[in-house]
Amino acid sequence: MPFDPTDIALSILKIVIVLGALLNVTPIMVWVERRGSALIQDRPGPNRVGPFGLFQSFADALKFILKEDIIPEQAHKWLYTLAPMFGLLPALTTIAVIPWGLPFRLPAKRIFGRMFFEGNRFFEPIVADVNIGILLIFALASLGVYGIVTAGWASSNKYSLFGAIRASAQMISYELALTLAAVSTLLAAGSVKLTDIVWQQTQYFYIFNVIKIPAWNVFSPSMWLSFIIFVVAAFAETNRLPFDFAEAEAELVAGYHTEYSSMKFALFFMAEYMAMAAMSALVATLYLGGWDIPWWDEPQVWWASVLTMLFFTLKVVFLLLVFVWVRWTIPRLKYDILMRLGWKVFLPLAFVNILIVAFFVAKHWI
Amino acid sequence: MFEFAIFFFFAAVAVIFALVVVLHHNPVVGALALVASFFALAVMYVLLEAPFLAALQVIVYAGAIMVLFLFVIMLLNLQHQREEPTRPVQQFLGYTGSAAFLITLVYYLVKYAAFQSLPAGPFNSDVRMIGTELFQAYIFPFEMVSILLLAAIVGALLLSGRSVKANAE
Amino acid sequence: MIPTHWFLILSAVLFAIGVCGVLTRKNGITIFMSIELMVNAVNLTFLAYARQFHQLHGLIFVFFVMAIAAAEAAVGLAIFISLFHHRETIDVDEANLMHW
Repeated sequence: MPFDPTDIALSILKIVIVLGALLNVTPIMVWVERRGSALIQDRPGPNRVGPFGLFQSFADALKFILKEDIIPEQAHKWLYTLAPMFGLLPALTTIAVIPWGLPFRLPAKRIFGRMFFEGNRFFEPIVADVNIGILLIFALASLGVYGIVTAGWASSNKYSLFGAIRASAQMISYELALTLAAVSTLLAAGSVKLTDIVWQQTQYFYIFNVIKIPAWNVFSPSMWLSFIIFVVAAFAETNRLPFDFAEAEAELVAGYHTEYSSMKFALFFMAEYMAMAAMSALVATLYLGGWDIPWWDEPQVWWASVLTMLFFTLKVVFLLLVFVWVRWTIPRLKYDILMRLGWKVFLPLAFVNILIVAFFVAKHWI
Repeated sequence: MFEFAIFFFFAAVAVIFALVVVLHHNPVVGALALVASFFALAVMYVLLEAPFLAALQVIVYAGAIMVLFLFVIMLLNLQHQREEPTRPVQQFLGYTGSAAFLITLVYYLVKYAAFQSLPAGPFNSDVRMIGTELFQAYIFPFEMVSILLLAAIVGALLLSGRSVKANAE
Repeated sequence: MIPTHWFLILSAVLFAIGVCGVLTRKNGITIFMSIELMVNAVNLTFLAYARQFHQLHGLIFVFFVMAIAAAEAAVGLAIFISLFHHRETIDVDEANLMHW
């Protein structure tokens, strides 16, 4: 099978960019979370390690690496060690199908006498543009349950097991609402591929044939219900407050990661923040127009593409700030209320939402 | 060439984890090994140009059914019950019977399953085609499966609850 | 392109492993997992043939098999839970009376 070295080189570059961005989310988010929570709670927050406490993450990382790694005697050694890696799997893989910039044409260049990028080669800023797009994200996100379940069981600790079962029950309940709410964006775009969904949002709505607003899914009234359901379900999927009963500090000690220390705990920590970032990127792609810059028809050249990548990052950062903001504002939901909301409120609402959006799309109102 | 490497690697993964399911004494390890086996099978489905079904396999089988298995195993605390070893005669008959079955099946497959080469052109199996097929030719089974799932949900709820008579007294 | 009979052989191997699990184990949940393995082997066969003859009917059938296997797993596990409530064991050799 003929291998195309340019394709491989470009893919490696894309992977390096995406992984580099994603792996750096955790230290930055730790600082944002701690300073943000301090701001909301009217206290200074970490301000000793470096200016504004900016090197706090380095101090935390050093502490995690140098701590003693304890494995409880009754724990199942293999599964106890593998569980944090299962937790990382959905976070690292779902980011592969999210488009983070405008595809642009690579100009043909002659470097050192050899012709590069001849022909119509486009740089598509998406690591894997598969035909099933969003289904891959649902598939990999549903594997996130296994990290929690394995961690809780392998710790051989009653409280860990309780926390794990609660967390996994919550995750699979809200997965349904998440999937059904996202179906409405698929109906509007007419395709399962995330690139098609973003291209559809680069169009415009015309109100009264005069006012032109970008056709982002969050601006169309039929999508508001699905936006609310999707964001709430995203909070439940990433086990963030108000849905973090599973890790409830002060109630279950630390839930499913009670027995974990040093680097394994750091891996769970990282997995949570990376899942938050991946979910924010997904919300930005489905509802906030992805990389689209509003009111500008981007030409497919490299500098416009870089601007769109910047805009996408801004949207993801905004959503991460919303995650932090909600965490320190809203109290935690009690577990039975949480499950009741998931099954009796959000699931029927998601079904009704599909009916509404299907009606609108059939009438070409969108 | 690359496809053959992927096929062999994931076929080996599927078979090895299937053996772990069948041979390991702990059902939790067996359930997680089955998840890995299903994931490898999903890769096989992608090689067979059915990516939609690969995603469905991970969503439905690995992401929902196996989670249900793990819940039941953990809630019933089954991992602490040491299963009695099967009687030797049953073990012997079981292993030799399934080995004979496998050898016969593979022999006849290799001897008679000679297909002509694949038809030219791509296999149009994307989501749009499957959706069209489902809602036009197969609409009746589709609706029937939804009623079947409703019956299964009601049945599971009734079977797994405690008996109502004991609570009513 | 990978020849179709390789997929059929892989499917036969997985099916035989499932048969071995059903015949030799006593834990009810393990037997059930072996049955799921057999169902997946059959799914693989359907898809191999669907690709060989470029027909969508194989894929639709596998779609329905997955939905029905989900329903079967739910009901089967509910039966196991009910058996466990009455017998305190999941050993299938102990479930040998028609009425308890």
